[in-house]
Amino acid sequence: MKFESDVVIGMEVHVQLNTKTKLFCSCPTQGSEEPNSRCCPVCLGMPGSKPVLNKQALNYAIKLALSLGCEISPELIFSRKSYFYPDLAKNYQISQYEIPLGIKGKISIEGKDIGITRVHMEEDPAALVHPEGMAKSNYVLIDYNRSGNPLCEVVTEPDLTSPGQAREFMKNLISVLNYLKIFDIDTCIIKADANISIKEKDYTRVEIKNITGFKEIERALNYEIERQKREDVVLETRAWDAEAGITISMRKKETEEEYGYIIDPDLTVTTITDEMVEKIKVDMPELAREKALRFVESHKIRKEDAFVIAQQRELANLFEIAVKKVPAKLAVAWVRHELNRVLNYNKKSLEQVKLDEKEFIKLLELIDKKEVTENVAKKILEKLIEKTFDVEKYIDENKLRAVSNSDELEEICKKAIENSEKAVQDYKSGNEKALQFIVGQVMRETRGAASPQVVIEIIKKII
Amino acid sequence: MKLDKQLVKEIAKVARLELTEEEIDKIEKDMDEVLNTFSKIQEVGTKDVKMSIQPVKLGNALREDEPKECLTQKEALSQVENKKDEYFVGPKAL
Amino acid sequence: MNILWGQKHFKMNLQELNQNYNCFNIIEELKEKEEGKLSGYQISVKDCICVKGMESTAGSAILKGYKPLFHATAVQKVLDEGCKIIGKTSQDEFGFGSFSMNVGIGYKQPLNPVDKQRVTGGSSGGSGCAVKLIEDKHVSLGESTGGSIVCPAAYCGIVGLCPTYGRVSRYGLLDYGNSLDKIGPMARTVEDCAKVLKIIAGYDPKDSTSLNEPVDDYESFLKKGVKGLKIGLVKESLDVDEEVKAEFMKTIESLKEKGAIVEQVSLPLTFKYGIEVYYIIALSEVSTNLSKYCGIRYGAEEKPEGSFNEYFAKVRSKNFGEEAKRRIMLGTFARMSGFRDAYYIKAAKVRTLIIQEYKKLFEHYDVLVTPTMPNVAPKTEDVKKLTPLQNYMMDVLTVGPNLAGLPHISVPIGDDLPVGFLVIGDHLQEGKIIQVADEV
Repeated sequence: MKFESDVVIGMEVHVQLNTKTKLFCSCPTQGSEEPNSRCCPVCLGMPGSKPVLNKQALNYAIKLALSLGCEISPELIFSRKSYFYPDLAKNYQISQYEIPLGIKGKISIEGKDIGITRVHMEEDPAALVHPEGMAKSNYVLIDYNRSGNPLCEVVTEPDLTSPGQAREFMKNLISVLNYLKIFDIDTCIIKADANISIKEKDYTRVEIKNITGFKEIERALNYEIERQKREDVVLETRAWDAEAGITISMRKKETEEEYGYIIDPDLTVTTITDEMVEKIKVDMPELAREKALRFVESHKIRKEDAFVIAQQRELANLFEIAVKKVPAKLAVAWVRHELNRVLNYNKKSLEQVKLDEKEFIKLLELIDKKEVTENVAKKILEKLIEKTFDVEKYIDENKLRAVSNSDELEEICKKAIENSEKAVQDYKSGNEKALQFIVGQVMRETRGAASPQVVIEIIKKII
Repeated sequence: MKLDKQLVKEIAKVARLELTEEEIDKIEKDMDEVLNTFSKIQEVGTKDVKMSIQPVKLGNALREDEPKECLTQKEALSQVENKKDEYFVGPKAL
Repeated sequence: MNILWGQKHFKMNLQELNQNYNCFNIIEELKEKEEGKLSGYQISVKDCICVKGMESTAGSAILKGYKPLFHATAVQKVLDEGCKIIGKTSQDEFGFGSFSMNVGIGYKQPLNPVDKQRVTGGSSGGSGCAVKLIEDKHVSLGESTGGSIVCPAAYCGIVGLCPTYGRVSRYGLLDYGNSLDKIGPMARTVEDCAKVLKIIAGYDPKDSTSLNEPVDDYESFLKKGVKGLKIGLVKESLDVDEEVKAEFMKTIESLKEKGAIVEQVSLPLTFKYGIEVYYIIALSEVSTNLSKYCGIRYGAEEKPEGSFNEYFAKVRSKNFGEEAKRRIMLGTFARMSGFRDAYYIKAAKVRTLIIQEYKKLFEHYDVLVTPTMPNVAPKTEDVKKLTPLQNYMMDVLTVGPNLAGLPHISVPIGDDLPVGFLVIGDHLQEGKIIQVADEV
């Protein structure tokens, strides 16, 4: 492979699918967090037990592969990946080797396409607890609740060229997963391994494991780039220690790990027919890209705005309802910018907040009809995020309705001018800023319900 | 094909078997004899022949995504002595 | 209990019997229901088949103390018909042998009831022995991967039926070769085998490789005679010891007299490469199956000291027998990168050709027949002199039907030392092989 950029990154992301039961047994994936309380002979690897594939996990995996633009394999074949580790119930992981579920896909991040080499299914190992930290413990504690959870592994081409891009990639991937409703960010786990190399060190590749969540990605990769610049770089696997903020060497990779793959003889080859794929496609939400283009076509909004809104299913829904009641420009401003601003400030996602659609739309209508100023509306939205309430009632109770009645407003302005002799003098002698003082008075009097521009005009007229 | 001691040691490592020198010598001899015979399957023409995973035709075997009762903690841990606070105890991971 | 011992009838309890023949690893009773088609029957179960709460070790030290939390489906089915389970029979460790001499560390070799100096055959040796000795209504659930039901049946002089792959659920069977393992009945009569097979056969959603096909009324195939049936005599199988060939040919004549049409057929590919293909596949699979035995969740364990690799190697090396280690090594090799294409993948392809070779014959013949083993039960001291490869070569007559997943039944013939007569049918043709076996 010929590389040119300073930094080359490829990602392998493991996503836990949001099914009710594990991949090869009927143990629940959610529920008690007491250790070893959601296990059975299959996920404990007890002698005599046998795996049976979860239909829903297959559906979800196909959905993911389709939405990443992959070609779907007509046959689903599982293999045994053999290696010994305390977190493996059978000392082999049922995974896919020869022919993955999906190949040759892509995902867009701002400005470029990232190639998806493969999407495949596999089971999760158990969870290890190191009683005194990973390096110091003499033994580990093993909890098999997680053992057997259904995972999808998404592998990218080494197309990413910065930690920022890696983070963008993860964010977009999570967005797609949420969109398809096959992943629950509150309960499902997403883990990433990254392969990273730098030009300075001849693109000698290091694998970084154990990165949980997209917030850690940038931190881990930034650290590793600096480390690679400082130290000698060898072909190896390192683990990211989030607490310490460093990567630790796990094992040298002079040779590839010997996995001794065989096709799992306890499972049958699953035929994926065209009909099955079509049925899943029909059941899938209109994919983000198509939706975005439709928004641009129907509502004449900017392409960039359309893509951002379409990426998140809930946001797109909200936008579609809004645009029936208010002009597209307003809908975009409030759905894309204002709503996101408030959500980001509170570090929440739209799904988590359960925004009352009706009240939100009503707010937009009021803004459109100029019955409430933008400033007031912003504050109302901040409150609406926390708890739902009757927006109209709130406005009336707190006298926040925009004072657009000119007479009433003129009265208030006159009063304010009378109370601000000095400011008026200053203004008349050329200090524009003095006007703001008078405007401030009016705003206080109207509790922000007046439009600042209108107030300025009236004051100027009077003076 | 000729097996050598180095390869035998590597296989033992992959299989997590600790073999004494005598055991390695004996196994090398045994494996050599066996593999010499095994390797004759190379003669068979298998162009365009698919692998048999099972010897009978089996269709899709899929399970509905409905949770079923699992083992209690006590049952899950009932087969070992090496346990602590409802966890299995294993050797250190690094 | 009524025992046939040295051709004389005795009343003896199981413990006394076992002290002389080592056919049981565990003697323990279990009954769940009173009424049913097997009411009054005793069932012994090969140690590698899980009985809930009863130590099930597949004859291996590494599973000492493992008491399954569930019944194997086949066991549940016989219990549901009112039988009494009497214990777990002895075997080669994990099924690794044709003589039941490769018992695990600390286990005893079962002895041939007809002549204690001889082997019982394997790997379901304990079952073969127990069935021969216990006269009261008794059937054993055995298991076959490459011939482990019919071999001890032949050497001990009883009936052993190995059904089509997938006919009986493998749920609860400690795996040897997942694409080769089958549970099947071993009994004194064809009738008892038919009766028990009907009960244990059938679709099981807990086993992905279970066949979803209706179960025949096997007992209806008894006493149907063989008139007009076309029987293929596999010519490559006549290259056996004289005493075996003589008995075998006598039986062939008798079947002809009863109206069967016997013609010579050939299975050149199967007989040239069957053993190699069988062992490569079985060992590739079992070397992964045995990886889970590492001293963490069940079975033998040690103090968790050292790194995990050291711990695993310690537990495994201490508790696996010599043959188990050898087979793990061979199986690991066969699927290592660099060798995988030439061994594991190649063998799986040749397997397809072997299956096709059988299927072609079944287009023209109802059943195929061969002797079960190339010899009568050998003496223990003679077997000790064999190399591992020579051991493997003893399976020459049984690996074929096992690789192809075909149902097959061994019926005892011969007056002196028992000889086995093997009847092989096409997939799901258990009825036909029962029909022919009944006439032998």
